[in-house]
Amino acid sequence: MDEKIKQSLIDIVDEGNYTDNLIDMVSYSYDASEHSHRPSCAVWPGTAEQISEILKLANRERIAVIPRGAGTGLSGSAIPAEGGIVLDLSHMNEIKEINFESRLAVVQPGVVYGELEKALAQNGFFFPPDPSSGKVATLGGNVATNAGGVKGAKYGTTKDYVLALQVVLPDGRITRVGSRAMKSVSGYDMTRLFVGSEGTLGVVTEITLKINPKPTATSTARATFDRLEDAGKAVTQIMSSGILPSVLEILGKHTILAINQNTDLGLPEVEAMLLVETDGYTKGETDFQIEKVIEVFHRNNVKEVRRAESESEVAELWQARKSAYAVLARIETHFVLEDVTVPMAKLADLLKGIEGIAGKYDVQIATFGHAGDGNLHPQLLYDGYDPEQVKRVEAASADLFQLAIDLEGTLTGEHGIGMSKAPYMKLEHDPVAMDVMGGIKKMFDPNNILNPGKMALG
Amino acid sequence: MEAKYDFARKYREQILQCSRCGFCQAHCPVYGSTLRPSLNARGKMLLLKEVMDGKLELSDELIETLFQCTTCASCFENCPSGVEVPEIIKQVRKDMVDIGSCHPAFKGMNEVLQKHDNIYAEDEPEDFERERNKQAENVYFIGCVGSYREDEATLATLDLLDRLEVDYTLIDEVCCSGVLEDVGYQINGDLVRKNLDNIYATGAQRVITGCPYCFRTFKNKPQYAELREKGIEIVHMSQFLTDFDLGVKTDKRVAYHDPCDLGRHCGIYEEPRDTIRKIADDFVELPHHHADALCCGAGGGVRGAFAKNSIAMARRRLEDAEEVGAEVVLTECNSCAHNLGNAKLRKQKFKIQNITEFVNELMEEAE
Amino acid sequence: MEIQGYNMPDDLYYEENHFWVKEEGDLLVMGMDDFAQKTAGEIVYVQLPDEGKKLKVTKKFASLESGKWLGKVFAPVNGELVEVNEELETSPELINQDCYGKGWMYKIDPSDKSELGDLIQGQEAVEKWVLADIEKYAE
Repeated sequence: MDEKIKQSLIDIVDEGNYTDNLIDMVSYSYDASEHSHRPSCAVWPGTAEQISEILKLANRERIAVIPRGAGTGLSGSAIPAEGGIVLDLSHMNEIKEINFESRLAVVQPGVVYGELEKALAQNGFFFPPDPSSGKVATLGGNVATNAGGVKGAKYGTTKDYVLALQVVLPDGRITRVGSRAMKSVSGYDMTRLFVGSEGTLGVVTEITLKINPKPTATSTARATFDRLEDAGKAVTQIMSSGILPSVLEILGKHTILAINQNTDLGLPEVEAMLLVETDGYTKGETDFQIEKVIEVFHRNNVKEVRRAESESEVAELWQARKSAYAVLARIETHFVLEDVTVPMAKLADLLKGIEGIAGKYDVQIATFGHAGDGNLHPQLLYDGYDPEQVKRVEAASADLFQLAIDLEGTLTGEHGIGMSKAPYMKLEHDPVAMDVMGGIKKMFDPNNILNPGKMALG
Repeated sequence: MEAKYDFARKYREQILQCSRCGFCQAHCPVYGSTLRPSLNARGKMLLLKEVMDGKLELSDELIETLFQCTTCASCFENCPSGVEVPEIIKQVRKDMVDIGSCHPAFKGMNEVLQKHDNIYAEDEPEDFERERNKQAENVYFIGCVGSYREDEATLATLDLLDRLEVDYTLIDEVCCSGVLEDVGYQINGDLVRKNLDNIYATGAQRVITGCPYCFRTFKNKPQYAELREKGIEIVHMSQFLTDFDLGVKTDKRVAYHDPCDLGRHCGIYEEPRDTIRKIADDFVELPHHHADALCCGAGGGVRGAFAKNSIAMARRRLEDAEEVGAEVVLTECNSCAHNLGNAKLRKQKFKIQNITEFVNELMEEAE
Repeated sequence: MEIQGYNMPDDLYYEENHFWVKEEGDLLVMGMDDFAQKTAGEIVYVQLPDEGKKLKVTKKFASLESGKWLGKVFAPVNGELVEVNEELETSPELINQDCYGKGWMYKIDPSDKSELGDLIQGQEAVEKWVLADIEKYAE
């Protein structure tokens, strides 16, 4: 790190908030993806003004700046792909305001999702998009990747809840977009542009979120199927049944077998398992809804339906879904977790297609995911030290993305493009779209200093 | 590629199993109080991966993270991939010491234990107004923290044992030296021998330890196998206490802090609670309890080597006590009691005590 | 004055365990001296007893700690503890940074100010005492 630049950074954030120690540089080289690259240094800013000064400096000196939350992103959006300065936002972790009358919460980007959830729950409210990494991930990161979660089908994703943002633009100017009002169509929807932009168009320094009253009743059930298509069809039919379950998760056969081999959950070894939950204000309401869902199951050759009759049974039914990721993580030395998403009508085709790809390349692919909004998580398991397997997995991934696009879907429902899927952007976006997105990036960041090397856009 | 270090030989697969998910950040007390990813379990595993891949060497530069871990095992408890971080860290520390790279506090501790009987290099233990080395059924083994930093708490425990008419003796105890295994060194054979001989000389059939760490050392370490082979029972005070009808009550709101060395490491969660429930009707769990308990920050040598961060961790744990409105926070570990006591702010009006001290006080008041 | 790198101001009274005392109006202010703070290392905990605590000369009334070292604080005179430096609760390192200023520890209401005469004072006495302690600790 150049001494003058180092001193300038220290002048901005104070000595205690600057580091170029080896141990920090190694940590900041990684997130939860398979990518890594060393930065030159890292800083812990405390205010938007400090970030503004840092970005101005970065433009003058042409150094990359990479914003980072908890570093749990799965696509490499927080990796310093071209070196530079990591902006660790975890010190900006205050919940500034919770306003129940206006149904909003104002938070700094470093607030951990779980902390907000706790603060809201105490008062009967919740923030619906609930990523499984919620105990560690920060809201800034959730906004950057438009995080989803298991409640997506009924409640939508992060972008549906961001009312306003304070953003520091790549050139250092600070601005506010959006409104505290619950709806606004005043000027261009800049808020929606920043949500999901993976820290490439600006650094978010304050987030105003819409919050919902938390439903007090739920009904939970688990259904098993001997045929994958039946499960897939059941899911699509639920969408047109008039009922929107709050949770609709799927576990594929490979996942179920893996869970049984590594735990004593003793799940029925079927082709597919669906976990469904309905929510509302009275048990009568939620039971009515879940009965409708179960009727759909029965119209699609369901093998067995189990209703949870007690809280402990609810926990039991959820156990399988919650342990999937962990169990699968232990099977091989490496894995890639995808999140391809297709329109509901194509879900069954996606499930079948994934099976086909697994067979074609002789790759273990365990699938689970948010069936309720067509967002599957195929997890490809392999020995990363066997170059032959690595090649097959890469080929399988490419086929997977092509499959999703062919089914009129998208490369990523909630994890983002980052570095992992950048090579596939052109599969999904036509040349005009790529050109326009590139133009937008250039307009915001002419020197390409803010999180370069991401999304194939800069 | 032949593994260069023992940690790689023993734990390569586990280290590779770390999928970098970062979920340990939600549990690691060092991360929680510093917000520095390099100090988190994931940060440590990333470094070790790079060392195994030949990208990095073990060196002094890694001391700050490899020697800053309380070995509380919250990470392991919650790791989706089952990576046994504390065991890996203990082995890495031995590799570091082998190449001459060690935190001065731990190097110092090893040297102190070669010349002194305890980790503080104190020469005069309190006599606690009691004879040592008598013949008795039980040996009460205090531990270094109890002897030299929490003498009031120890005195209370001994008073309680007297009130309960337990036939016990203190001995000329020396540091169990178990901590050395955790910080890159080895248990000190001379100290072990002294302890064993002093225990045998009393004719005791049971050793009651006040310190959960001594408890683990006596119970699990091969150097103390002789004790177990001779059929001498080893119990921690919290286990011993459950056998007694105490006959006292408090109406205060009481919470319990699970010491890592009793809870996550030994699975002793219920015995202390059984005792507390006997004496307190208003017992509340702290927000993080049982296997989810937050480490007080003192363990793994961190209180000696990274004292400021250690107290910051303790302060964080005390926020839990505030949240449930506890009037008394009980534990049964002098190390926890000491660190939490140091960290308590003046505006926090609750008391922090070992169960034995609290019970002894109730009995004193009843008289 | 400076004695072998340790700053020991002439105008202060010193308690033999290396705490300084000075008059401030009717009260006495007490803190740790430079020799002690350098020897102890980074202070991480200072016990701050409740105001009103009665102090008996030469009796311990508080303690403080660095990583592994525990230090006892003895009352330099008879009296009552009337004020503590609350900054030390969250910034005990003030003692290392500015032991004679911002790192002051306790304020005492003395029963009899003449007891100050029993403490170490004056260039000659202070120098003799410090040099002796430097030698003692060097072992």
